[in-house]
Amino acid sequence: MFELFGTVFEVFMRTYPGFLEATVVTLQLTAIGVILGTVIGLVFALMKISGSKILQWIANVYITVIRGTPLIVQIMFLYFGIVEIYTMSNFWAGAIALGVHNGAYIAEIFRGAIQGVDPGQREASMSLGMNRKQTMQRIVFPQALRRSIPPLGNQFIITLKDSSLVYIIGVSEIFSLANREAAQSFQPFESFLVVALYYLVLVMIFTYLLRWYENRLDVDKT
Amino acid sequence: MIIGENIHKSFGDLEVLKGVDLHVQPQEVVVLVGVSGSGKSTLLRCFNFLEMINEGSITIDGKKVDPKKDNLTKIRAEVGMVFQHFNLFPHKTVLENVIEAPLTVKKMNKEKAKKLGLELLEKVGLSDKADVYPSKLSGGQKQRVAIARSLAMEPKVMLFDEPTSALDPELVGEVLQVMKQLAEEGMTMVVVTHEMKFAKEVADRIIMIDQGTIIESADPENFFGNPQHERTRQFIQLVE
Ligand SMILES: Nc1ncnc2c1ncn2[C@@H]1O[C@H](COP(=O)(O)OP(=O)(O)OP(=O)(O)O)[C@@H](O)[C@H]1O
Ligand SMILES: [Mg+2]
Repeated sequence: MFELFGTVFEVFMRTYPGFLEATVVTLQLTAIGVILGTVIGLVFALMKISGSKILQWIANVYITVIRGTPLIVQIMFLYFGIVEIYTMSNFWAGAIALGVHNGAYIAEIFRGAIQGVDPGQREASMSLGMNRKQTMQRIVFPQALRRSIPPLGNQFIITLKDSSLVYIIGVSEIFSLANREAAQSFQPFESFLVVALYYLVLVMIFTYLLRWYENRLDVDKT
Repeated sequence: MIIGENIHKSFGDLEVLKGVDLHVQPQEVVVLVGVSGSGKSTLLRCFNFLEMINEGSITIDGKKVDPKKDNLTKIRAEVGMVFQHFNLFPHKTVLENVIEAPLTVKKMNKEKAKKLGLELLEKVGLSDKADVYPSKLSGGQKQRVAIARSLAMEPKVMLFDEPTSALDPELVGEVLQVMKQLAEEGMTMVVVTHEMKFAKEVADRIIMIDQGTIIESADPENFFGNPQHERTRQFIQLVE
């Protein structure tokens, strides 16, 4: 037991400069994945609630395909797909893949949040003489946005962990570093234990921050 | 002020309103009663074009509304509506709730809207709550804010759909008081309510709806004293 502690600590001390750098990459991937996913998600959510059958169909196809295939396949597909036509770094190919993947999930988050707003809100707004656009912009969307913050936070944490999969296209985020370390040092167990701790600590920090933010939102308004 | 003629409304196969004629005079207070499911809410919602009628016509302030051509948004602004569950905007303060429509619909400037909003809050006795969020209010206070919010658009008619049904008994009075005051000031009102005391005191006319048609229409004295229809007699027994 003591021995294990010792070797884990030793691996930790040896690798932390590299891990800190790789953590920045992981966080960047996560942030871009979520921001891009939010933009894509918003567009597809609006398509889904639009009256247009064609737009709804397009959104449904997108969401079904993304949710029906593994992320790792999407990463490979996009990587080879994009890099074929357009040269870009592996980092950006990975970040875009995460964004495209998240887009489908975040679209569903937004759609659910919009449809979850009490229909009475829309009616009250319409009865005051506000038109559809004003009702959406000023009454429905702000409430939907607030409702979507907890699931978006959740999605952020999922993305943080999912970003490990872009190691497959050679992006130097923390999992790929652990992978390399495991092979080079012949200490796979310790290496993966250390990387697990990195993820765990990151997830705990963000969970805490998100909770703090949600509580702050709840103080006055429900 | 508001005239409904031969109003028919169905939801799928279910015909809810079967040819309703209702003429509401300016400054008149009409109380609508009827058992659950008789079509009271549906009728009010048709008057506000939250539901579209299948047949018949609605005339507001002398202008027959053509739902296909007319700007319904504009017409809704002239017909105020107060809901059973208040439907205040939870992300806006009390004052913001009241001035939202004047700001966005009438493009009123902020100073003027604020002044109007505070006047209306004073009228419903809630000046001190201007800056709190609705979640901090009691049901009675919420409904008074909802009334002020409706009044801010200076509607020609006010529709009330069971405005006190969701309230604890001790909070009903404060809302009815505000409504009574409105009636005294000459607001044209159509009120769905089970508060028979309010109906007796404030209504010019009480109308009984049964299975989608009007079966009785009389001033309170005759409505309670000399009901013509058997169903009305049963209803009166039920509520008294
Ligand atoms: N949007 C809708 N779709 C389908 N059916 C509806 C809809 N709105 C109302 N109905 C039906 O129409 C009938 C009349 O409803 P309405 O709400 O007008 O009754 P009400 O007189 O207001 O009753 P209550 O006293 O319970 O409020 C009911 O059978 C109801 O189920
Ligand atoms: Mg009703």
